[in-house]
Amino acid sequence: MSSPKRILIVDDEQDIRTYLSTLLGDQGYETIQAKDGGEAMQKIQAEPPDLITLDISMPEKSGIRFFREIKTDDRWKHIPIIVVTGVSEDMKTFISSRHHVPAPEGFVSKPINQEEILDLVRKIITQ
Amino acid sequence: MIDNPYKNYFEMMPAYLTILDPDLRIVEANRRFRRDFGDFEGRYCFQINQHRSERCEHCPAERTFRDGLRHGIEEKFINRLGNEISLLIHTTPITNESGEITHVMKMATDITEIKLLQNQIRDSRERYRKLFEEVPCYISIQDSDLRIVDANRQLREDFGASPGDKCHQIYMHRTEACVPCIVKQTFEDGQVHQTEEVMTSPKGEQVNVLVYTAPVRNAEGQIKNVIEMSTNITQIRQLQSQLTSLGLIISSISHGIKGLLTSLDGGVYLVNTGLAKNDRARFEQGWKMVERNITRIRRMVLDLLYYAKDRVPELETIPALAVAEEVCEVMRGKAAEIGIDFRWEIDRNPGELEADSKAIRSLLINLVENAIDACRVDKKKAAHQVRIGLKGYSDYIEFEVEDNGIGMDQEIRERAFSLFFSSKRGSGTGLGLFISNKIAQAHGGGIKIESELNKGTRMIVKLPRKPPAPKTEAPKV
Repeated sequence: MSSPKRILIVDDEQDIRTYLSTLLGDQGYETIQAKDGGEAMQKIQAEPPDLITLDISMPEKSGIRFFREIKTDDRWKHIPIIVVTGVSEDMKTFISSRHHVPAPEGFVSKPINQEEILDLVRKIITQ
Repeated sequence: MIDNPYKNYFEMMPAYLTILDPDLRIVEANRRFRRDFGDFEGRYCFQINQHRSERCEHCPAERTFRDGLRHGIEEKFINRLGNEISLLIHTTPITNESGEITHVMKMATDITEIKLLQNQIRDSRERYRKLFEEVPCYISIQDSDLRIVDANRQLREDFGASPGDKCHQIYMHRTEACVPCIVKQTFEDGQVHQTEEVMTSPKGEQVNVLVYTAPVRNAEGQIKNVIEMSTNITQIRQLQSQLTSLGLIISSISHGIKGLLTSLDGGVYLVNTGLAKNDRARFEQGWKMVERNITRIRRMVLDLLYYAKDRVPELETIPALAVAEEVCEVMRGKAAEIGIDFRWEIDRNPGELEADSKAIRSLLINLVENAIDACRVDKKKAAHQVRIGLKGYSDYIEFEVEDNGIGMDQEIRERAFSLFFSSKRGSGTGLGLFISNKIAQAHGGGIKIESELNKGTRMIVKLPRKPPAPKTEAPKV
């Protein structure tokens, strides 16, 4: 039996981290958490996850900065990222429109639709 | 008296012609005179022309009889219909063979229409002057050296402008001309130009103006001056700024609400799955999440209410100590969660104050939350502290919230109380300190910030024991 897929949940809100961690944990995924981009980078360096869910508005290193760093680093750019945010849909266009940075693999708006995020995670992780 | 063919010329002249004898009796008059002034025979000129019984004070005919010279004067005659006619009068002597003046010829040219036109021009000029003076904008006429040649009343009163002043000195308080200068551009190309500027009045008030310039040409078509007209659009700009801010706050609130709903969903998920799995720990964790986020939603709604209307405090006499202790109880857990040393230095007998307890609690919690946030994001220190202080003075109470977090630079300090200003990037709504300050002011008090970047912040809240009576009637809720 293969080991469970690891998902890194990055969000500055503890309650949202707990929520996603429990929701994904109930589906058999192993989850780790980070409260901002800086902490997330440390977690990735320690043990790269199979998928990242990423909030955009965080007081320390923002989600956009973290996203660019990951997607422009040869070591980590293969890790799929699902952006989970309450900022407007325009952000999706904004993130995707940056030169030399690919679009995120998924985009989920807050408040989260459980089925939507689980389907997306499943689809991306099995690819 | 006048022989042909001159008699005919005399008759046909398009002016009033009369011949007067030394007694100023009219002995001859042309057709036009007879038509407009009637029968003249045996009558004096002052009787017919002026409808008076005595000679006129400055009679040109009399002077011509006296000195033999021609004289001119402007006078008003009254014709047979009783209408007043403006006339330009010339008198000339008529001499006999010996050179003696026997008669004077008086020629009166009707200048009523010219006078009317002159009056109209004068009235029109006065109207334009009045318009120039009273129009509700700043108008100046400038020469090619950008010197003000003329300034309207509003410009003189609000900016103290007077002829000879330079435009940029008056509006901008500087010695160099603006770059670009639209007055210069109009002098160069003769076109109307437009720009928007922020001017500073002598009182130091910032005035947003929309400026237009247009050429003033002389009869030869050369640009002699440029007229500059500046309309005060400060209120429009303020309104726009408020609308922009409103847009930002709606977006910010929307973001905040989405986050809260997600956390609430999370709590509900944990509660439901905890019940389903009979996992009490999960159920309790979920329930705490629900409670916590309901509290956050409540606070956000209260904050919004404070923003939405100038709430008049619901005053009651409250013990200052109880308020401070309550805030400490609520906040010390939150500080402990992230390893912040939470201390309080409280005067045990600070006394009471008249205040809206909910509002004051909200104000202090807001300040403490900010202090905790300032410590949380500060990575430069090993240990962090938040200290709550309370002191009672004879006529006021002083609360202090101090932290050794990231601190503020001058710019952040100056803008800290501005609506929608947040130094917390995405996580702040920009409402907290604005509302806290508003609450303090509504109680007749205020908040003072002492802060240094990378060292920490001290917020001092001073509230009078008894707030002054509100000046305006309380808005209806």
